[in-house]
Amino acid sequence: MASSAIKSGALVNLTELHPSSQFYEEGASLRVTGKIGTKENAVIFNEKNKIYYRLQDYAVEAAMAIIADGNAILKIDTQHLRDLSFRVGSIYQFIGELHIQADCEAILQARVGRNVDGLDLNLYRQSLQLLRQFQADRMNNTVT
Amino acid sequence: MDHTLQNTHVKLLAFDLLSLTPTPDPATFSRSGKLLSRAEIVGTITSRDHKPSKFIKFTVDDGTGCVPCVLWLNHLTSLYLPRRDPSTVRLIAGVATDFAAKIKIGLVARVRGRIASYRGDVQIMASDVVIERDPNMEVLHWLDCLRLARKRYDVVVNKS
Repeated sequence: MASSAIKSGALVNLTELHPSSQFYEEGASLRVTGKIGTKENAVIFNEKNKIYYRLQDYAVEAAMAIIADGNAILKIDTQHLRDLSFRVGSIYQFIGELHIQADCEAILQARVGRNVDGLDLNLYRQSLQLLRQFQADRMNNTVT
Repeated sequence: MDHTLQNTHVKLLAFDLLSLTPTPDPATFSRSGKLLSRAEIVGTITSRDHKPSKFIKFTVDDGTGCVPCVLWLNHLTSLYLPRRDPSTVRLIAGVATDFAAKIKIGLVARVRGRIASYRGDVQIMASDVVIERDPNMEVLHWLDCLRLARKRYDVVVNKS
């Protein structure tokens, strides 16, 4: 396998990103997809620390975005992104490295981001499963 | 070795492309008993190094790996290119320059080109670069790769 200074962002659903997941690792390069919180859903409940966030205030103060996929949420550090504006309610995809803070909260430090409004999320999720199976089968065939 | 895929742009996922086996011929690589020389990949551009009138190097990340790509921009000055009609060379140079201008970090690109090896690593020498605006195109490329692998690339043809 070729090596590259730029690491590939492993495709992961937000619902798969929890402390016991193989993807939940300091420095892991990931690609995540989710919807920027809506104004109606501006209060985010962090289950671990029981902290309420107002999405708009948080996003403005800390160059952070919060994306959601179902009940799963993830904070995105967007300070290194250029030429990308965020629309509440739109779907975005980010590639970056996961940082796990002292309070066990995970933040993705994004190096690439794009608006993916129009993405068929059902097709995306189903295709991701097929992709993973294909990759596993190829790896197994290579080993045997 | 099966040569039937040698002159087509095979659609491959990054991890598959980066695992190709070199052959004694530097222009060809083998995969499952088949010789390949050209490929098509789709993914997000995650790095870019532009040297005007020389080359642009960029990486394409499709979620399974990062493929290094190079688009040469030295058509008008290189002494090593085959002799061609000057107007054709200018046309090719113009097309390559247009492609280079479109390559930006964060965009999704469909890249076609020759498979090559540089310092032991597989890369693509790009001949076509198309920016894909529809966010579903990357997913459709995954499915194309899976389907073609199952129906064509991984099929062993028994010669009787």
